[in-house]
Amino acid sequence: MAVIAEDRAPRARLRANRHAPVLIGTLLVGVPLVVFVLWPLAAILLRSFATPEGLGLDNYLSVMGTPRFRRILWNSLDVTLVSTVIAVGAAYVFAYGVQRSLMPGKALYRFLVLVPLFAPSLVQAQGLVLLFGRNGLINRSFGTSIDIYGYWGIVLAMVLYVLPYAFLILSTALAVADQRLYESARMLGAGPWRIFRTITLPATRYGLAAAIFVCFTLVITDFGNPMVIGANYNVLATEIYNQVIGQANFERGTVIGMVLLVPAAIAAIWEKYLSRRQYALISDQSKPLEIRRHPVRDWAFSAFCGFVCLAILAVVAVVVYASFVHLWPYRMTFSLRHYRFDVQNGIQPLWNSIYISLMAAAVGVVVVTAASYVIEKLKSPATRWLYFLSILPAAVPGMVLGLGYVLAFNNPANPIYMIYGTLLIIALANVYYYHAQGFLIASTSLKQVSGSFDEASASLGGSRMQTLWKVTLPLIAPTLVGVAVFFFMRSMVTLSAVIFLITPQTQVAAVSVLLLEDRGATNQAAAFSVCIMATVLGVLLVVRGALWALGWKDVRLIR
Amino acid sequence: MSLRISDVTKRFGPLTALDKVSLEIGRGEFVCFLGPSGCGKTTLLRVIAGLEEADSGRVDLDGRDLIDLPAQARNFGVVFQSYSLFPNMSAARNIAYGLECRRRPKAEIAARVDEMLDLVGLRDHANKLPAQLSGGQQQRIALARALAPDPQMLLLDEPLSALDAKVREDLRLEIRALQQRLGITTIMVTHDQEEALTMADRIVVMRAGRIEQVGSGRDLYERPASRFVAEFIGRLNVLPLNGAAPNLTLPLPAGAGRPGAVGIRPEAVRLHAEGTQGANHVPVQVAQVVFLGNLTQLVLDAGPDWPPFVAETQGAGARAAAPGAALVAELPAEALQVLEWR
Repeated sequence: MAVIAEDRAPRARLRANRHAPVLIGTLLVGVPLVVFVLWPLAAILLRSFATPEGLGLDNYLSVMGTPRFRRILWNSLDVTLVSTVIAVGAAYVFAYGVQRSLMPGKALYRFLVLVPLFAPSLVQAQGLVLLFGRNGLINRSFGTSIDIYGYWGIVLAMVLYVLPYAFLILSTALAVADQRLYESARMLGAGPWRIFRTITLPATRYGLAAAIFVCFTLVITDFGNPMVIGANYNVLATEIYNQVIGQANFERGTVIGMVLLVPAAIAAIWEKYLSRRQYALISDQSKPLEIRRHPVRDWAFSAFCGFVCLAILAVVAVVVYASFVHLWPYRMTFSLRHYRFDVQNGIQPLWNSIYISLMAAAVGVVVVTAASYVIEKLKSPATRWLYFLSILPAAVPGMVLGLGYVLAFNNPANPIYMIYGTLLIIALANVYYYHAQGFLIASTSLKQVSGSFDEASASLGGSRMQTLWKVTLPLIAPTLVGVAVFFFMRSMVTLSAVIFLITPQTQVAAVSVLLLEDRGATNQAAAFSVCIMATVLGVLLVVRGALWALGWKDVRLIR
Repeated sequence: MSLRISDVTKRFGPLTALDKVSLEIGRGEFVCFLGPSGCGKTTLLRVIAGLEEADSGRVDLDGRDLIDLPAQARNFGVVFQSYSLFPNMSAARNIAYGLECRRRPKAEIAARVDEMLDLVGLRDHANKLPAQLSGGQQQRIALARALAPDPQMLLLDEPLSALDAKVREDLRLEIRALQQRLGITTIMVTHDQEEALTMADRIVVMRAGRIEQVGSGRDLYERPASRFVAEFIGRLNVLPLNGAAPNLTLPLPAGAGRPGAVGIRPEAVRLHAEGTQGANHVPVQVAQVVFLGNLTQLVLDAGPDWPPFVAETQGAGARAAAPGAALVAELPAEALQVLEWR
């Protein structure tokens, strides 16, 4: 007996030693995800069913029963579908021009189309109002009476807003192609249109579907643009804002939030499902595509892409212009007075944004790297749940998550209340709102460096920690820089996740733009937008320069 | 230093990768696990390395159960098919890695790295990154890296299959010479029978999760235990003996049944001029002549009941044979192996 007992004890200890890191890692990653993703969603779900007589469907019945709600739901779907189709169509042609033609100006277009990513998410509406609004450049210069407010204003703003997102996805999908397929098709006598229909389009169908779903989610959940340019045309996202901020009716707000969650969740789930299939299409033996010169095609694409860039640029340029004139549209003389920010809080919101974005970048990198490490390397029965929680935020509209934070944490009895009303909670909201994308970037990179390097390290006597510090982290470091930049950029420009969380002391720049615009302080709103864009661009340049000095090339910073 | 594998079983879902495998490997031996892909040879190596956990069974090293010892603690050197050199480290730092993980003094590490670089003849490439080395150089560095911590055993997982033919042949001899010089117990996984024959003291032929036969290359070639081994090691003509097939006399033990198919190695087939008579003499027609330098392969057609079979010869007569020529093939009774019974 004694012999067996001696033999068993070290075995049990060894097994425990192997399981301890899995348990600790799972808890370190899982607990914050439950607190900052699941709990707020549970809070909003619970609140939507809360009635004076306990839980019930009363809120749903009273909201959905109104003709106003049905009109708003229809408005939302209408605007979203039309904007998505236009944006994805234009982005496909644009991405095709960039990846599959030798059009003049390619490098410039490729950069310009991404400019909206550097700007607060309502800059399109802001610019369109400055161009085509009642006091817009066009109407005043030419005496026309174009009415941009409402449906078409929203659609136009949304198309310009989501086009770069669609472009990034489609550009990736079109970047890879197997030259051998194209050669075979040409040998068999297929013309360009048949080749496109039978080879190019099928090869990019998953990318196309992903772009559609991503744009759909972005449009249906965006509220900055319809707030500024929608006038009386209400959509679901603006309705949540109206109910919660305008009428302090949380119950109705949560019900509409739940309604908004459904299409966004369906789109997100489809997108995740399809994006897994994209990769199997190219084999190791594939030959990269050779693109031949074709003047007519190249100039046609150049003209189209030039036009799109012009539209994107015009909207941004007019905002920059407005920020430098004395009083739009009455005194169009040069002035720097809007950069004095003699409004409430002054320049503080910009600093708040920068602090929040830096915190979100730092915390975000750690959080998503830890999540992808635990999910990829410390497998356990809990892994699939961690994965689900990690990508769940992709299905949650920012306003819904933000509202969930208010309902869950704005309560002195809650331990998180300690940071409620601080910049940190806003940074955390951004981290978890963008968790899915950050996590997927990190885990894709981790998968590429995993497996054999881990085993090589283990067989050489390297412990888990030694492998992580000496091998894994140095190999994925360039990607992690990209992840940090991603969190920084998105946190600088986002509106929806933070709109319900700000206080007068913790107001952020993007919200300042919205509030100033709402008050009619067009010039100051423009100046804030310009500051946001300048900050994002400046940070991008600094990071790019630092990477260049380190000798790290090919690091993708804009996602 | 002997390794004993007893009744090791490993399943991946419905697939049984290893089915009660038992094997003993002695000190200083060079053993090859040979078999087609999916036979379990790599899984067995990974179980020994500690990279995979067996569902049941034991692996003992000098009587000590390894089952609860993780790969980190086993002190086995592993070389992978894809080299798996850390791409962010120079050749020298790759070699130093195992010693750094063991927290050895800096001076000792530096000396050992130099020693290893000399061992594989790549002193001049110490500071290059893996991407700057050729495939053969990378695999030499991987070997040096595996040997640097002075492992108890060397495990090679298809180390040569990603290399060009010429480099592969050089490295075979190099690895074998190194292994003999260091006297280190070595297991190599390969699907290439020629590799196994040139390098191993003993070959373990595996199939579908089981060990088919264990023995020296000569044992396996001359006394294969099964049709699978006979066909896998070297080339074998399989000739059915039913229906109207040519009559062959076989030295069969008393009471044996009727053979259904026999096998014969191409070099055992003897060729004679048309019209030659004798036991096991079969008239054939030359279908194809393949000149291979030191020998010539003739593909022979013996009528509709046998598939075309191959004879290998260095004789001058064969060199003259042209497609369409009529010959007589002798299949000597002592060279025939019964593969199937009726």
